[in-house]
Amino acid sequence: MRRRDVLRGAGATILAAPAIRSAEAQAGKKLVIGGSVPLTGAAAETGLNVNNGYITAATYFNEVLGGVEIAGEKYTIELKLFDDASDPARATTLIQRQIDEGTNFFLGSFGSNIVLPTAAITERAKKPMVQTGGGSDAIFTRGFKFVFGMYPRATRQFAATAALFKTLQPAPQTYSVIYTNDAFSKTAAEGVRLSCDAAGFKRLDSYELPAKPTDVSSVLGSVRANTPDLLVCVMHDQNSLLVARQMVATNTNVKLLFQGLGPQLASFREALGKYSEALLCSTYWDENVPFKDKFFGNAKKFAEYYRSKFTRPIAYHTAGAAACIETYILAMQAAKSTKPEAVRDALSAADYETFYSRIKFTPEGDGDEILMGGMIGQVQKGKLEIVYPEAARTAPAIYPAPAWDKKA
Amino acid sequence: MSLIAQTLADGLVLGGIYALAAVGFSLIFGVLHVINLSHGILVLIGAYLALITSQALHIDPLLTLPLVMAVLFLAGYGYQRLLIQRTVDRSPLGSMLLTFGVALMLQNIMIWLFSPDMKNITPTYAFASFKLGPVTFDAVRVSALVASLVLLSCLAALLKFSALGRVIRATAQQTLAARLCGVNVRHVYALTFGVSAAFAGAAGIVIGIILPFSPADEALWTMNAFVVVVLGGVGSPAGALIGGLLLGVVNTLTAQYVGPSFPNVTMFLLLVLLLLVRPTGLLGHAFSASR
Amino acid sequence: MKLSFASTVVLMLAVAALLAFGPLVLPPFYVRVGQLMLYSAGLAVAWAILGGFAGYASFGHAAFIGVGAFAAGLVENRASGLSAPLLLLLGVTVGGLCCAVLSAAIAYPILRLRGTFFAIAMLGVSHVCAEITNNVDFFEGSLGLNFPSVTPSGLEPATFFYWLYLVGGLAVLLIAWQIRRSRFGAGLLSIREDEDTARMLGVPTERYKRLAFVISAVLTGMLGVIYGHSLGYITTDSVYRDDTNLSLIVYSMLGGMGTLFGPIIGAFSLVFITQVLLGRLLDFHLFATGLLLVILVLAAPGGVLGIARTVSLRRHKVTTAPAE
Repeated sequence: MRRRDVLRGAGATILAAPAIRSAEAQAGKKLVIGGSVPLTGAAAETGLNVNNGYITAATYFNEVLGGVEIAGEKYTIELKLFDDASDPARATTLIQRQIDEGTNFFLGSFGSNIVLPTAAITERAKKPMVQTGGGSDAIFTRGFKFVFGMYPRATRQFAATAALFKTLQPAPQTYSVIYTNDAFSKTAAEGVRLSCDAAGFKRLDSYELPAKPTDVSSVLGSVRANTPDLLVCVMHDQNSLLVARQMVATNTNVKLLFQGLGPQLASFREALGKYSEALLCSTYWDENVPFKDKFFGNAKKFAEYYRSKFTRPIAYHTAGAAACIETYILAMQAAKSTKPEAVRDALSAADYETFYSRIKFTPEGDGDEILMGGMIGQVQKGKLEIVYPEAARTAPAIYPAPAWDKKA
Repeated sequence: MSLIAQTLADGLVLGGIYALAAVGFSLIFGVLHVINLSHGILVLIGAYLALITSQALHIDPLLTLPLVMAVLFLAGYGYQRLLIQRTVDRSPLGSMLLTFGVALMLQNIMIWLFSPDMKNITPTYAFASFKLGPVTFDAVRVSALVASLVLLSCLAALLKFSALGRVIRATAQQTLAARLCGVNVRHVYALTFGVSAAFAGAAGIVIGIILPFSPADEALWTMNAFVVVVLGGVGSPAGALIGGLLLGVVNTLTAQYVGPSFPNVTMFLLLVLLLLVRPTGLLGHAFSASR
Repeated sequence: MKLSFASTVVLMLAVAALLAFGPLVLPPFYVRVGQLMLYSAGLAVAWAILGGFAGYASFGHAAFIGVGAFAAGLVENRASGLSAPLLLLLGVTVGGLCCAVLSAAIAYPILRLRGTFFAIAMLGVSHVCAEITNNVDFFEGSLGLNFPSVTPSGLEPATFFYWLYLVGGLAVLLIAWQIRRSRFGAGLLSIREDEDTARMLGVPTERYKRLAFVISAVLTGMLGVIYGHSLGYITTDSVYRDDTNLSLIVYSMLGGMGTLFGPIIGAFSLVFITQVLLGRLLDFHLFATGLLLVILVLAAPGGVLGIARTVSLRRHKVTTAPAE
């Protein structure tokens, strides 16, 4: 019930915001940015974080900075975002209508299964999309010129985790990977296999689940029969939660459980309670990162501004989303234009330092592997600590993790 | 060896729950000859009712059974009497489409009320488990199974021994003769539907505590019920039990030995094959004895 | 209102020519709605060849849309050397062929079922095809399939597909019309009325049913190929849709089950209602479709044309309605 009200409130804010903005900013021109976000449905947990990030950035530019200056004109940002209910068909309908109505710039939804079809549409219409919701290789290997992502592609996302695994003592030998049958998880699992095999670990099993799993007992039965040191799950947070819960319920223990998406979210840690201790996940931003930012100052200041607007705990998706809008502004300023083609060229050549990270895209449009690659977080006493890389570490990694029934 | 034992055990546990989820559908098909495509949404209504009741009253979800079943019984009675009755003796496609339409409407209403997010009912013993030899059992699933078996037995007893059960069976076997004996067939049809809906709701509670659910799952549970009926037989709790157990075991065996993404393919293939070969299932039509 | 053969043809061509002007005067959103209307109408008529004429209402025709689209996409991606029109032709041919093979293979067993059992069995077939496409990597159902662009340069994709659907839909309509006017069509109608009696009287029911099934499947598949191209990128969920399965039945119910133009009326109306009237109210779609279905079943099982016929019968003071 509570979350529904928050969602309705957030939805109302989005819908009201353009009205508020157009009432205030009679003087400046409008910069319309469109898109859809999953505010309800399976991807809502992260969708809401992304949405908050978009709103934070737009509000900051409009209210705190009084608008943005591009090629000598002042613009206010107008966000046209709609709830796609985590349904790709609905998202494509919404995006198609926005294109028909003349929107030139798009932000991404969350989840490669939604981002892929919507990116195909914006690409065909030759409108740029900057997104922080889709990492699947499929988005970046189809020759799209107008789509840019804040993450390196899924097969390259696992390098950091494999490197962390190598530093653990006593050295782990074996690993297994579980993934779901969808665009992101499949390619991410490919990345896991590539990185871990290259790092010298022995692969025991690779399990594929259906895209919307409801029961993983058979997979966990196999895991108990052939137990690896490290179990890697690459899937979306709802599925990670299902796997974690069933692991506890069937007392399936491994020395370390990595869940790509899940433990970063406060709601996930709350749902698992004490059982979330020592779970690993990937994270792409933390408010302590040392980047300087032309508009926000630095990461800490962004986090403070965010907290002045929202009570929902901040997550890296929020920062990534705000960075999407900032990247658009920086590109438009560099191109001195708001024409889609010119902005697209500027995005392609981008090399900006922002509070989120240094933004640079590969020729295919995904985030640069080194500059925008992830860090590894671990849940310790209910908080998310960074355990890799060394430079950003806030706590040493706990390994091996205690068994489920021993978690305090 | 223990892997196959675990797989079979998981399958039987799941199967018992499938059986409960299908028995209402089976009864309607057998007695009214209606394919109730709104069965899945009734199951989900049960789950959501259990969710809000158990949260509001702070009681274990299984204790909400009587309330949920009562509410759904009344709703089912009204639904049948007012809507479905009009299509009962006309073309079978009509009742199928009518119930489908109602299912869509109810699904949308539930999305408005509860949002499309996945929900879970978490009883206090949610993370507990115990072992029997080499096989690990999830405490929540086992309690769900026990509840299912108890309810199925109650229904079987109701049908076999009670006056209501006799009347239902009579109406199903020989409708005209029952009318001639003074049975108010419309009332009996509505009562049967009420019972079916009540059991659908009970199944919803059971499903709600073991799996995450959302309004979009309704098609799955209707399909599930159909396969169970086609597998095990129309109209009887025993048929539902056999069909359910078979489906559960086939599901887990396929998931384990063919691949975790394949249980659905197997389920639909089974459906098509069985419809071609023996549409009334292993135990046949429970009410066709005197035809 | 019975027109002569010649005047009906002229009328149809005139309407088609009129519709062809659509993309030149309408804003892009309405061109897209027009696309959907023409596509749905074509599908509806193709479905009705089996469901309306013969009375075998299939609840799983999306299977053919999916099989057609994926077959075409997979083949076209491996034949990249060809020019655009050839690619499209190849795709449509391959898609139609695969649907022909599939439908011919399952026709004999599945047409032994009647009524609701047939409907549900077809639903099962649709889901089996969907699951196989999704889970077997070769079909690329979960990662998704990209279609090569076939739009001639200088033409807007929306306009091109509008015209393509118009031509395709017209072709389907002409085929259905020819069937209806022929002995084959009369045979199908007799199957719908009373299959056993028809058989007894010498109508080759089995052969006719199978032929209708295959023709319906092939036409549906070919339209599905065009649909895949119009989307540009498809996954399992974009083509094997249960709402399509349902809509195909509703189009005929709404317009008049068993008639030739009924499905077209039903398709146009339903698409108009959901896209234009309910276009901004995406949260109401399920409810509105469900309500429509309930009202249709209870109040007007004969659809729009059924009501029109009842009204005209009353006007001519005919007291007994013909067998329906």
